[in-house]
Amino acid sequence: MPRLLLVLGLAAVVGLITGQMLACVLLALGGALALNYYRLYLLERWLRHRRNLDPPNLSGPWGDVVALVVRIYRRKKFHKKRMLEVVREFRQLTSALPDGIVVLGRDREIQWFNPKAARMLGLQRKVDFGHRIDNLVRNPEFQSYLDRGDFALPVVVRKLTGQDIHLSLQMVDYGEGQKLLVVRDVSREILIEAMRKDFVANASHELRSPLTVIAGYVDTLADDPIIDADIRHALEEMRRQSARMQAVVDDLIELSRLESNDSEAPFIFVDVPGLLALMRRDVIARPDRTCEFQFESESVSGMLGAESELHSVFSNLIGNAIKYTPAGGRVVARWWTDAHGGHFSVTDTGVGIAPEHLPRLTERFYRVDPGRSRASGGSGLGLAIVKHALQRHGGSMDIVSEEGKGSTFTCHFPDARIATRD
Amino acid sequence: MDATSLGPHISRRFNEDLEKLRTHVLQMGGLVEKQMSDAVVALVEGNGGLADEVSRNDHRVNAMEVSIDEECSRILATRSPAASDLRLIVAIIKTITDLERIGDEAEKVGYIAARLAVMERPTDRYREIKNLGRLVHQMLHAALDSFARLDADAALKIVQDDRVIDEEYEAIQRQCITFMMEDPRTITRSIEVLWVSRALERIGDHAKNICEYVVYMVHGKDIRHTAHDALTRQVMGEDLR
Repeated sequence: MPRLLLVLGLAAVVGLITGQMLACVLLALGGALALNYYRLYLLERWLRHRRNLDPPNLSGPWGDVVALVVRIYRRKKFHKKRMLEVVREFRQLTSALPDGIVVLGRDREIQWFNPKAARMLGLQRKVDFGHRIDNLVRNPEFQSYLDRGDFALPVVVRKLTGQDIHLSLQMVDYGEGQKLLVVRDVSREILIEAMRKDFVANASHELRSPLTVIAGYVDTLADDPIIDADIRHALEEMRRQSARMQAVVDDLIELSRLESNDSEAPFIFVDVPGLLALMRRDVIARPDRTCEFQFESESVSGMLGAESELHSVFSNLIGNAIKYTPAGGRVVARWWTDAHGGHFSVTDTGVGIAPEHLPRLTERFYRVDPGRSRASGGSGLGLAIVKHALQRHGGSMDIVSEEGKGSTFTCHFPDARIATRD
Repeated sequence: MDATSLGPHISRRFNEDLEKLRTHVLQMGGLVEKQMSDAVVALVEGNGGLADEVSRNDHRVNAMEVSIDEECSRILATRSPAASDLRLIVAIIKTITDLERIGDEAEKVGYIAARLAVMERPTDRYREIKNLGRLVHQMLHAALDSFARLDADAALKIVQDDRVIDEEYEAIQRQCITFMMEDPRTITRSIEVLWVSRALERIGDHAKNICEYVVYMVHGKDIRHTAHDALTRQVMGEDLR
């Protein structure tokens, strides 16, 4: 600005001297305008081809503009580089993840997935974006998992193509209405689990035969009249313990049989009231029973299922109730049907169970009170057997209990399993 | 517009109906796939329980066919679709028939597997059946994938793969004949194996049909009963889009 004034002043002086005032000032102004236009042109050309040209060396306000643009441009470039680095890092991270990840939109359409997910689920990059996940991952188990809409636990499916590969699939909430599908290869876990089951089954079978022989001899010896009294005492104890061991082994075999067969129980008619009436006779005849036992059959309907498994469900629950109910208590077993299906409950006035034990009650060998239950001779497998047998019948069990007051175990069977003898 | 949408429609409901229909067909496909692979696994591993389950589950496949069929009739009656929508419905009606037949063949394999499970197992442990089963399953899976992606090029490739399965089937046939001549005691089992391989070969044919419907659906060309060369010329050579 001062330079412009200086030039104008100079032009005015020259004008005064030469007497051509107007022409000189106009000439100076025109020159200044032309210079500015030229600088503007330089600036424009530089902005257009910023990548290849150095910033023009301009003075005055145009120079300030250039400096400002350079600064903004540099900052932008820096941020862009940072952004690219973050994206690259994210890409590397997601490809390095051992789990497959699929981002799903509102309608379960695929929006993005990492290479691992592509390999495990057989998806194709780019091609499959926008397709619904259930159109491409068609395992019936996964479909019903999606339909159920309860994604608290993953679902394990056997991969349809290829060899024995088991995948665990879980949906996780993500962003607005989006979902994340996490895919894990659990073939190893499944294999180890199968090996564990096989081991338990084989070990129990191997234990059974020698145990039978030992129990047989102990039985014979204990009944021998010529045996000394104190040896007889030891033999009696051996007899009791071997009987207990046999019970444990039998329960283990029963449990591994139930576990190895994860399909549904057969649909064969079982006369539940008749079965319970038979069991009632056994219970009443039990020598160790000290409490009162009552049985209420409110329905004449039976069930479609496996008789031996239902028998173990009922007898385990009744047996437990009697074991944990002190003398003078009462155990009531009920069987009834309604619109939801069939129900069997056992209510006792026994010791009850503290709430913290309830969730773990059906675990194998889980003991509420280790000292007590071992003395009472349980195998620790009863409720695990009940749980598996119920699962095979599509049933469920709930437990209501109050310490010191007693407990109620209720089994629910679906309506589809309830039937009457034709 | 995302890749799955079958084209814009004034009625959004119509679009949703078509999408749902397609998903149902693929669900049925998934069930059939599982039935088929379970049947082969049951046979190869001698798992009688799994074999029974396969025969028990066939009614689910049939029920799905009926319900999809009804859905198609309803759409035809109420929406009177035209052009590519009509082709989609027609292709679906045909596809589910083939899927249902695959289900029947799988049930048959399951039934035979249950019978073979109690018999003495051959020394090769049904290796050739396992191999054929894998090939057929891959083909079925790829066929359903091409249906899901509306990928006619992939469908065409699968149609040509059917030849491999036919060759494998013939090899098993010859092997069984040799076994039967060597040792007449294996005749019962060999006949059952023949039945199974025949069923698997039929499944391959049905999968091929599904691929042909995919090509029809995408390009509007009927490529059934066309020789391979002519087929490629017809579909690849011309610009059909």
